[in-house]
Amino acid sequence: MTFRADVLIIGAGASGGVAARHLAEHGFDVVCLEQGDWPDRSSFPGTRPDWELAIRRDWAMSPNVRNRPEDYPVVHDNSDIEPLMYNAVGGSMIIYAGTWPRMLPSDLRVRTLDGVADDWPIAYRDLVPYYDAIDRQIGVSGLAGDPAYPPHDDYPLPPLPLGVAGGRVAEGHNRLGWHWWPEPNAILSAPYDGRRPCVQRGVCTSGCAEGAKASTDLTHWPKATAAGARLITGARVSRITIGPQGLATGAVWLDSASVEHHQEADVVILAANAVGTARLLLLSADERYCPDGLANSSGLVGRRLMMHPFSVVTGWWDDQVEGWQGHFGASITSYEFYETDPSREFVRGAKWALSPVGGPLNHILPMRAGNEVWGPDHHALMGRTFGRGASWAIFGEDLPEESNRVDLDPDRTDSHGIPAPRVGYRISDHSRRLMAYQEDRATESLEASGCQETAVASMIPYSGWHLMGTARMGDDPASSVVNSRQQAHDVANLYIADASVFVTSSGVNPTCTITALALRTADLLVQRRREQKVPA
Amino acid sequence: MTAADRSSAVVDIARLEELADIMLPAAHGMPSASEAGAVSLYIDEVLGWRSDLRQPLAEALAALDPTTFTVEALSAFLSEDEAAYAALTTVVAACYYLSPVVRDRIGYPGQVAKTYDPFAYTEWVADGLLDPVVERGPIWREAPG
Repeated sequence: MTFRADVLIIGAGASGGVAARHLAEHGFDVVCLEQGDWPDRSSFPGTRPDWELAIRRDWAMSPNVRNRPEDYPVVHDNSDIEPLMYNAVGGSMIIYAGTWPRMLPSDLRVRTLDGVADDWPIAYRDLVPYYDAIDRQIGVSGLAGDPAYPPHDDYPLPPLPLGVAGGRVAEGHNRLGWHWWPEPNAILSAPYDGRRPCVQRGVCTSGCAEGAKASTDLTHWPKATAAGARLITGARVSRITIGPQGLATGAVWLDSASVEHHQEADVVILAANAVGTARLLLLSADERYCPDGLANSSGLVGRRLMMHPFSVVTGWWDDQVEGWQGHFGASITSYEFYETDPSREFVRGAKWALSPVGGPLNHILPMRAGNEVWGPDHHALMGRTFGRGASWAIFGEDLPEESNRVDLDPDRTDSHGIPAPRVGYRISDHSRRLMAYQEDRATESLEASGCQETAVASMIPYSGWHLMGTARMGDDPASSVVNSRQQAHDVANLYIADASVFVTSSGVNPTCTITALALRTADLLVQRRREQKVPA
Repeated sequence: MTAADRSSAVVDIARLEELADIMLPAAHGMPSASEAGAVSLYIDEVLGWRSDLRQPLAEALAALDPTTFTVEALSAFLSEDEAAYAALTTVVAACYYLSPVVRDRIGYPGQVAKTYDPFAYTEWVADGLLDPVVERGPIWREAPG
């Protein structure tokens, strides 16, 4: 028996979880379809001896390496960066680092301020109340007063420990006269909302067994389902359906036995990340209404993919700092080279986050900076570096280009036979100049902090955590896919809640802004519920 | 080749031990792979966790002759067969760094839980660590709208 929901949400990750909770708590009948399952924290590998082996296979961040039934392949032969994601309730928050920076006012005005890309149709001040609300829902640990940001509400919890490395780099930056600040993290420093605090195990990016790191399976879905939301796991959506009025009527989905179902709804919200959402819009092409893909009259669905070029600069001291330990996450951050400086050969900048280096396998089979060395020199290298380092993780602002895109692969499919997404992405010359400058400054930072040795891993391919921009927000339907409320210009009852809508990438980790935008979208939907067009 | 074939590929343990000793000899106060019992004690565990490595490891062992093997030859092997190279280095390293003797020598207890005082930050704030940052004033850029 089928039933018609007020709102159908596709994807139970960061944006889907936030939207579901808000809508359910405001009386909406919400159904969510999620291709993954509830995460089982007892299966997380961080407390096991095979942790560093597991993160190279079953707990890899790449769906192509993990290759679980709930994953879909992402074809990336023509991409400089490999897209990374996790399919489950909680989505990629299960494997994210948990750093929680807001965007800055300038991030939403790069055309006006720097003459590049486009301004957002909303401003920083529009996001502030939602940033504040999300921080409380998530339980963010941090310290107010960062002079890199306009003043805002204090965080609900005190900052996580600086650690020995964080303290040393902080002192180094003080000597240089450079900015640093304790990084805000979506990781509990003290008990909060029934969850336990971080124990500094340093395995955040392979799942937090303690549940200290926020993910919506912990922070939002229990409250959403308590308010009546229905979450169907193992449900892979194959297309959004369109009715005679040109409105979305629901979605077709397949269960694990490949039995097809149709979920009807008055409103559809896509929350499937910037690769998955673009894929679904393109899969939903309909000869009668949208032959080039749903909500794609602008031709921009799938285009302007941004992924943040990512470099790591690691420094090693001549004594132990327990560099394998600590939240991952970041201890401190620096925005010294974030804003545009006209004296440089690029505009915009990058955010730095200081992180642990990992265990022994990560040292000698580096996923980040370092060298692979065997023979007697192996032990010399380990003796010199193991436990003695910390890494600046550097995300550079990635300006949008229409040639960087997601489309449908003509050959590859997922386990249900649905065409896989294909990603074509090139790091621009502008980004290369920007990142080279940041790498040099980060090396100076670590040298000033007393490191005896440094290494740069420049623009690492295995780094596409931040998927943004494939259904951009804007006021003009000819040059954008959704409006400032994240409602599709072409389909009045279709919304996009994930980072597909980002106009530009900023240089900060996106999940804080993804969730703030999702809350704003859901809140505006609640406020305007009587004006919402729905299918007959 | 089926998954079952890959996971049942025969690994020549003696040959692996010989190669591992060349990759990780006794030096700089660290034991060799065989002195740590790396392969003999931990190979079953490692290949149990990562059965996908068994077949490429067997291929690496078939391709590399311990009597002529050198560390330099290992580097060249990377360009010849990346999957086999990755399996060999991963398995040897994983076995070696599971050894409690090795972990003790490098001071690594594993990824352990730690307790801390979440309000300890008040001390370094009071000590003035952030003062130079705050005294410099705002560095964010005003934007219209």
